[in-house]
Amino acid sequence: MNEKTSLTRKGSSELRVAIIMAAILIPVYFILPSKMMGSEILIMALPALAFILLFGYTGLLHFGMGSLFAVGAYTAGILLTRYQAPILVALIAGIVMTGIVAIIVGYFCIQRGGMIFSLLTLAFNQLIWFTIWQWKSFTGGPDGILGIQRTRLDLSVLAINLKPTFNFFLFVLLLFLLAFLFVRRLIESPFGKVLMGMRESELRATAIGYNPGTYKWIAFILSAMICGLGGALFALHQEYVGEHIANWFTSGEIVIMALLGGVFVPYGALIGAGLFIFLSDFLNKFTFLSQAGAWLLVFGVIFILVVMFLRGGIYGGAQKVWGAIKGDG
Amino acid sequence: MNIETLLPQLFNGIQFGVLMALLATGLSLIFGMLGIVNFAHGSLYMLGAYFVWTFMWLLNIPGNFWVSLVLSFFSLGIVGLIIERFLLKPMYGQPPVYQILITFGLMLVIQQGVALTYGTAPLPLGIPPHFGGEMNLGLVHYPTYRLFTMILGLIVIFALWIFVERSAFGAIIRASAEDSETARTLGINTRRVYTWTFMLGCALAGLGGGLHAPLIGGLQHPIGTEILLINFIIVVIGGMGSIRGALLGGIILGIVRGLAGVFWAPASDFVMFVVMGIILLFRPQGLLGRGTIG
Repeated sequence: MNEKTSLTRKGSSELRVAIIMAAILIPVYFILPSKMMGSEILIMALPALAFILLFGYTGLLHFGMGSLFAVGAYTAGILLTRYQAPILVALIAGIVMTGIVAIIVGYFCIQRGGMIFSLLTLAFNQLIWFTIWQWKSFTGGPDGILGIQRTRLDLSVLAINLKPTFNFFLFVLLLFLLAFLFVRRLIESPFGKVLMGMRESELRATAIGYNPGTYKWIAFILSAMICGLGGALFALHQEYVGEHIANWFTSGEIVIMALLGGVFVPYGALIGAGLFIFLSDFLNKFTFLSQAGAWLLVFGVIFILVVMFLRGGIYGGAQKVWGAIKGDG
Repeated sequence: MNIETLLPQLFNGIQFGVLMALLATGLSLIFGMLGIVNFAHGSLYMLGAYFVWTFMWLLNIPGNFWVSLVLSFFSLGIVGLIIERFLLKPMYGQPPVYQILITFGLMLVIQQGVALTYGTAPLPLGIPPHFGGEMNLGLVHYPTYRLFTMILGLIVIFALWIFVERSAFGAIIRASAEDSETARTLGINTRRVYTWTFMLGCALAGLGGGLHAPLIGGLQHPIGTEILLINFIIVVIGGMGSIRGALLGGIILGIVRGLAGVFWAPASDFVMFVVMGIILLFRPQGLLGRGTIG
């Protein structure tokens, strides 16, 4: 009885968070320098969110998010172009397919903890990229998937045209908020507590009777599915899928976004993706920086400084500053 | 398919494997000692190759390749010293994932820094004089320089193994890796051992990059990326921290890659992952992995 009331209260507070976030994010869409940037930020925040779930809460440094993102994107892209699947079906298929891939990849990666996990996720990232690159008849190889149409989203009760960027932004925002609230609930759930316990001391968690392997595997799969949703939306966003998104470079960008925003709170994903995309767009306006990818050099330096001095990312830093202002620092 | 076409491929595979094992030994030593996977290792390899090019350009004397190779080895050691002192040392005592993240950031900085300094066009680097020919090995004629890199690589790895297993300093390295607290109680300055090991690992990456440079065809800044991945796979196969494991892993990978390439070129990349997957399923700690240096 008590349990139930606390859950309903939680439900209403989640709704409040969603409404506040939407109220902040919708005006942001109009401030951003390009019409497409709003949905791009929300879409890239999804793999960053997936990374945070694994790294910030489970302690697993995942270096293969890009390839899982690509699995989602390619699944949606292939279904939309070759099989004329409805958008909703393509999105769900993207999530499910990424989950299936993660079941296999995750099984291998969690065999060895810590460092080896990072190294294996990177290796699998390249294996998936390599498969996409070589399997020309299915994935288009270096050409990618062309001719994806962002058309009408037909639900039995309503139909929305996703072609206008603002409509698409609202659609992405809705899905992002759902994923965001899912992660928040997951972290608060007993499952999330076990993950955090394992992050602090795997030995202790094992001693209490939890099997860390199973928990890590499930966390790996769930985070991959969030990442896959991002990928499927990205296919719609770009109306094109290229093999470069599967490369380890995308995985690296996702790591940078998450660390920049802050890996210990789900909000970090949004802050990090927003800052990364906005800044890279800004830096690329200067020709001397866009040549030879020098803007990445800037990000490399910022990234090292953040890891060394600002462990909680922008969010953690802001929290500290706020604490100091309030005087309880 | 006959023996005359297979043998050179086999040799190339072993040669490439030994060269990669040289790098992987550095990666493995750093892991065994500091407990971190060095994501910048491929970039340091690339830097080694670029350093050789730069020193050759600066020193226009006969035999400048060999001088440059030695200089590259020592320069990378110094680069390693700087990295360890200013970026990794402040992070000791914190979760090692943050040190990995630092090396990842470093990879970006080195790679883009090189692209900015040297441009993105490939820089040519020829085979050093007197090494351009082929040698008669009875069954097969094999390029002299490739044969040389294979032999030199084996000598360096063997010397390193003897050094770690037999010398007094090697005993200090092994002791610090196995139980740094006890080593400290016995009066060993483990921090200094960390520094030296990291420098040695980086210097090996530089040597490997320099040796490989004339075989690449043209230096470009992304060359380190693929090498990093290959090295990761080698240490997973051979076992983290093991020098002999790195050599064994390198040779297995080289042979498998070389032979698979004969049948279907793209397969040479694919089989690496298959071998790694099989090893992970049946021997997750790697073929010779014991969890410590040796």
